[in-house]
Amino acid sequence: MVSLVAPSPSAHSRKELVADLIAMVKPEQVLWDDENQRPFECDGLAVYRQMPWVTVIPDNIAQVQAIMAYCYGQQIPVVVRGAGTGLCAGAMPHASGVLLVMTRFDKVLELDGDLAQARVQPGVRNLALSEAAAPLGLYYAPDPSSQIACTIGGNVAENAGGVHCLKYGLTVNNLLAVTIVTMEGELVTFGGAGFDTPGMDLVALLSGSEGLLGVVVEATVRLLPRAEKVQVLMAAFDSVQVAGDAVAELIGSGVIPAGLEMMDQLAITAAEDFVKVGYPTDAKALLICELDGTSAEVAQQLQAVKSCFTDCGATSIRVAKDADEAARLWLGRKSAFPAVGRMSPDYYCMDGTIPRSQVGHVLTRIAELSVHYDLPVANVFHAGDGNLHPLILFNDAQPGDLEKAEALGGDILTLCVDVGGTITGEHGVGLEKLPLMPYQFSDQEVAQFRGIKLAFDPHEQLNPGKAIPTLKYCQEYRSIQHD
Amino acid sequence: MTDITAQLQEQVLIARTTEQPLNIVGANTKSGLGRISKGQTLSVREHQGVISYSPSELVIRVRAGTTISCINHVLAEQNQRLIFEPPVFNEQATMGGTLAANQSGPCRPWFGGVRDSVLGLGLINGLGEHMQFGGQVMKNVAGFDVSRSQVGAMGTLGVITDVSLKVLPAFESEVTMALNCPVHEALHLMPRYFREHLPVTGVSFWQGQLLVRLQGSQAGVDSAMKSIPGEPMEPLLATQWWHKLRECQVFESSQSQVLWRHNLGATDQQDMCHDDCLLNWGGAQRWQLLPEGEEATNGAIRYLGGSREAEVNGPVNSVARKLQGKLKMAFDPQSIFNPGRLYSWM
Repeated sequence: MVSLVAPSPSAHSRKELVADLIAMVKPEQVLWDDENQRPFECDGLAVYRQMPWVTVIPDNIAQVQAIMAYCYGQQIPVVVRGAGTGLCAGAMPHASGVLLVMTRFDKVLELDGDLAQARVQPGVRNLALSEAAAPLGLYYAPDPSSQIACTIGGNVAENAGGVHCLKYGLTVNNLLAVTIVTMEGELVTFGGAGFDTPGMDLVALLSGSEGLLGVVVEATVRLLPRAEKVQVLMAAFDSVQVAGDAVAELIGSGVIPAGLEMMDQLAITAAEDFVKVGYPTDAKALLICELDGTSAEVAQQLQAVKSCFTDCGATSIRVAKDADEAARLWLGRKSAFPAVGRMSPDYYCMDGTIPRSQVGHVLTRIAELSVHYDLPVANVFHAGDGNLHPLILFNDAQPGDLEKAEALGGDILTLCVDVGGTITGEHGVGLEKLPLMPYQFSDQEVAQFRGIKLAFDPHEQLNPGKAIPTLKYCQEYRSIQHD
Repeated sequence: MTDITAQLQEQVLIARTTEQPLNIVGANTKSGLGRISKGQTLSVREHQGVISYSPSELVIRVRAGTTISCINHVLAEQNQRLIFEPPVFNEQATMGGTLAANQSGPCRPWFGGVRDSVLGLGLINGLGEHMQFGGQVMKNVAGFDVSRSQVGAMGTLGVITDVSLKVLPAFESEVTMALNCPVHEALHLMPRYFREHLPVTGVSFWQGQLLVRLQGSQAGVDSAMKSIPGEPMEPLLATQWWHKLRECQVFESSQSQVLWRHNLGATDQQDMCHDDCLLNWGGAQRWQLLPEGEEATNGAIRYLGGSREAEVNGPVNSVARKLQGKLKMAFDPQSIFNPGRLYSWM
């Protein structure tokens, strides 16, 4: 488990810092006692915990600018937090830093039905945006599993994905403009209401920058029209290899589903036990496929998918008869994480992405690693994107179990890199995956990342110690690997 | 199929030692775009070839000097296509230049631009280091998104050596619907194509004609065309029009005239639109050909023609300028690459 490097002691006492912050915001917007700060000590990856030094909850951009300029001057670290649903300890507070909580920025500032765009504050919840756009027949496409709680600002910071990425893209593909406050407290907007504003694409650079480059205070996103018709079908297979091949075959044949998800037997049985949606528990793998478009398009695609899966050896295919049945088929998939969670005191969710052709090989190897480490692994993933979410079951109360789960997780992620993939497809590096960055990137590449960081944040105060390792760490990592 | 990465690296290292700026060039089809950069030519043109292509992965990886035409050809053999429909510029345009100059076609609003297709790339920075960012998989959030940041940078951050792109199946069917109408009616009709789920891949207005291109499955196109006002256009004429629009051949610019481009919200500043202006991207891209010396509406960029001495990309606010200047230094500390090509101050 990674821990943050001990911070250099600030010249400030906590009391002085609180007094200075209260001069910038209302007293109730500043928290410093343990009881009030406890909810902020971790994000969705709760094994990493750290109490903030001081928490501040601004409600307007001028306050954010004042706080940032002040912290810049005083060389105080700043960690930005949205809803805290992240899964890589990216929002874990800094022991001698300010935690900037952005949840009060919760307004949809503008919904433009003609442009199919929304201008939002960063604390707007992902699902709330789609709900607000619904009367216009529009929705916001990126839909991470946490969409009921996660916020647009956090989505931008992590470049969040979801089950519909294959067809509709990640956050970056749906983001037109982003306004940030820099570490120095300056306000700047990149992008605009139009497409392809001139110059280097800094909207893309800020997407997925994990709170290391600036504080997102506003975003303009694209909204998409609801499809006229949505159809969901489920296909069962008697091996993960065959199901994996069916995914490659379907995509290769020219069908791009709105979503294409795969579950292995452990995940299928866990979900079925939990929500009872009628999944075939004897199946070794299940594909859930969603098609959308006009009625004519969907009817044509449905035939193509059915014949492809049948030819690939599906043991059964079930097409949802109505929206209710479609929702139930999705419910099993969407409940898979908590369902697996019921089987074990703790689980650890991985997030590697691999080429689709490697799905069978990688799942077989994960099964071998599971036996080697003696920890069960359930697999639920975005098959269409090759984005795996192996869930490692363990018991944190058992000494050594967490370390074992982390070692197994590390082996799975290096396997993903070995087959041409990445250590993280949508969850981010944060603190959690920092140790694996030198496995995926050379020292030169890491140095280039650090150069970008310093261009925005010269004293490394914004979310320090996350996402990009130090070169010293990389060198140590390599010397250990060689020994 | 030639890999000249080592040679390119060598040239960058020499330029670094001799402090001699480099002007990165592919097939030189975009020399009229941006500002003029003074420097020794660094040609990427010979650095060609498809490195890997797996149709079932929907991913192709090519060297930067590979032409768009070549990529289109390779993909068409597998019934696939580049998603962002870039111009081919007499079959000479290269992938590296297309990315650096951010060139997307008429389908941009509905299928995304270059940035949305890029999965990863190789880059030689100003220290002569060859690095790989992103990759060949659909989702990758490890490290900063260096790949997409190169889009539109006009080569100011480094030499792009190879590009990995997401591709999609070719369209099964295509039809263009034409409606004769004045510009204000076209502007009134255009937003519909953003807010309705239709297989639209192009909406333009020129000389009193609103054209809506539908592409997709046979069934999808057939059913959608019934709801689009106007008449189906003769297929050959339609193909010629979208080609001309994509290749930026509607206007002929000259030294004495400037072609201005506005990329803005499709419904913004509609009062600037007259019956003689060219609208693309459902109104989100507008073109004006004006005599040199006459300034276009705020926010427009000097796309082609006229003097390239002044700024061509419009004003940049001081904070954005500072950050871009620092980023430039992070990639190219000695300002070797394409000085002045993007901005006079970079």
